[in-house]
Amino acid sequence: MPLTGNSKSDALESLRKQLGRQIKSGSEFLQEREQKTIRLVTGLDGLNAALGGGLPSGQLTEIIGRGPSRGGGVIMAALLARARSEGRYVMLLDIGAGFSIGSFPERDLESLLWVGCDSATQAVEALDVATRDENFPLFLLDGRDCEPSDWKSVRTQQWYRILNQLRQREAVAVLFARSEVTSATKHRLELVSRLALDDLHQERETILSRARFQPVQRVTEDREEQLRVG
Amino acid sequence: MRTKKGQVGGHTLSGYAVVWCRDFRLQAVKRRSGRGVPAALVDDTQRQSIVLCCNTLAARSGVGPGIPTVQALARCPQLQVDRPSPAAELVAGRMLLETALGWVPGIEETGPGILTLDLATQAPAQWQESASHLHDRLAALGLEVVVGLGETPALARLAAQAALHGEVDVWHLRREERLEKLDQLPLIVAETGAGLNEKLRLWGLQTLGAFSRLRREEVAARLGDEGVELWLRLTGRIRRPLRLAKLEQLFEAHHDFDYEVSEREPLLFVVQRFLEQLAGRVAQTGRAATAVHFLLTFADGACHAKRLPLPEPTLDPGLLFRLVSGHLEAFEMKAAVVALRLRFEPSDPVASQKTLFGAGLKNRHHYEETLKRLRKIVGSDRIGSPRPIDSHRPGLFEKVPLPAELSDGDSDESGPPVTGSTLRRYPLGFRTSVQLRDGVPLRVESSRVSGIVIASAGPWKSGGDWWHEGQQWERSEWDVELLNHGVFRLVETGREWLLEGYYD
Repeated sequence: MPLTGNSKSDALESLRKQLGRQIKSGSEFLQEREQKTIRLVTGLDGLNAALGGGLPSGQLTEIIGRGPSRGGGVIMAALLARARSEGRYVMLLDIGAGFSIGSFPERDLESLLWVGCDSATQAVEALDVATRDENFPLFLLDGRDCEPSDWKSVRTQQWYRILNQLRQREAVAVLFARSEVTSATKHRLELVSRLALDDLHQERETILSRARFQPVQRVTEDREEQLRVG
Repeated sequence: MRTKKGQVGGHTLSGYAVVWCRDFRLQAVKRRSGRGVPAALVDDTQRQSIVLCCNTLAARSGVGPGIPTVQALARCPQLQVDRPSPAAELVAGRMLLETALGWVPGIEETGPGILTLDLATQAPAQWQESASHLHDRLAALGLEVVVGLGETPALARLAAQAALHGEVDVWHLRREERLEKLDQLPLIVAETGAGLNEKLRLWGLQTLGAFSRLRREEVAARLGDEGVELWLRLTGRIRRPLRLAKLEQLFEAHHDFDYEVSEREPLLFVVQRFLEQLAGRVAQTGRAATAVHFLLTFADGACHAKRLPLPEPTLDPGLLFRLVSGHLEAFEMKAAVVALRLRFEPSDPVASQKTLFGAGLKNRHHYEETLKRLRKIVGSDRIGSPRPIDSHRPGLFEKVPLPAELSDGDSDESGPPVTGSTLRRYPLGFRTSVQLRDGVPLRVESSRVSGIVIASAGPWKSGGDWWHEGQQWERSEWDVELLNHGVFRLVETGREWLLEGYYD
């Protein structure tokens, strides 16, 4: 006779009691793994707090700004500066090649490898190759100018392969986008603050201290399909 | 008394070693077999075959250079006879040189089977031990050598001769005990002419020590130039410069195919074998390869040469093979190949030493491979480490190779601090219509964004390249905040308005 939902959990609970709680549930296992995850401390208090201590290694984190002037660029510059001060190399996959050199301090550019990409598909293909290289602990994928439909030709398996490669090398990838991109992302934050004209003359620290992050619900594969169609 | 590094009691401590492979031509042929048995090389190109050289065992049976081979075989029935082999001599000579290069870099190939080493790069206390080590390594390779150590090349050679005569592995002629040591050596060790030897014998001089005690003027008056030259050699007053061996020849492999090769597979097979051989040779010298030189000769007489640089010195045969095979696969062979030459460019180990605490690429080979693959995806002009260029024209930057080592991150040597939000450019810009009031943007309309301007700053005028005909430019920039949209950069070029990017 098939077990119903309640009887399943009762049976599991009784089995656990018999085995002295040696069996962990999937969520317990994931929680434990989450606690063990090494995190790349970003130097941005708001971002660190929203991510539980920093960017999780072996993961792809999405930072979403649903329009211009949300502060994604300033966060990117801050991540680059932090990486430079720690002697780490960063690869920037720039979809649309909108990189503006005057926005970054010269000394931070020394550790940056810029890769100009024509499309989201090309950038993900490049990321797939790049994440096999142990020289780069941080990858920035700049898709701020991409439409949601631009990501539709990227296969889900490719994202999971990239994740697997990131895990193997304990590297971190951050995707800057205008909307949710992939269900492979476990950590997704939306930038809800907005920059004003006066911010053009503010110190970077001041702008960053005002940045506000809001966690975004994880995208299921069905939702990802909807996003692609949409 | 040690005064400063490399000097003792005010005298510079220079030293030389002579590595002498006894009966080199014979040893080259009999390196792997025929040891422990009487053996000789013969010249049978003449009407009568004669012995060219023989080993000690054969010499004990009365065999010697110049005697007829028939006579030699009669004296020593177990004698193994061989012809000289230039190929075997070349291999043995390379082996000798490679092994010696593991000791010091400055080496002269003085003669077949004779090397003179400049020991200036090593502390004198280690000379004896290093010489014994070299002797053992060569013995393991099937080459029996003796090593002479002395303060000049001539004295080192004398010491090597003494070792040959004394049947010891290493003979060290130290400065402080030179006369005592020379007293033990017969005149024949000095390799002088028979006439001079005879004269000295008639004078009653039996040893080199006794000769070197004579006054120079007396030697010059009675024995002339030959005597003075010997006296100067024995007293350490002649120090000739060494003609150092060229390593290029050592790190090179060449193959002439017996048949024309038009497929890549057999070529790659030979390449792999060569790379392994060369890697082994270079490893013996304590170096690594920084580049592989590759030369193909085709049946139609054409050649293809390429220098394949490595991002970091290595001797990993797998990596080297990937480098060469990658080039071969990308290269179109228009004719069959008849010869292949590979050469390693050896590194200077000191020059490639990394700093202890410096941050840098973990694996430069992997990085180069990644770059190569990324270039295939995005194009070679779309990848690099961005650097500003000396121009006022906005948005231009050059792409330079990523530095393999990062400088101290805390230094403020380059560039001023950057404030404000970052600009994200639209590479081509969007044509925009801008409604102005009193010369200030009031409303913006474009295919990308349209809206009412709630705040603006500008104009900031710039221009340049007026000194290049047809290339001059002039522009006015405005930063505008659009209601519910964000902060954008507008540019007026005189002819049109463009939406150049947004601040983010």
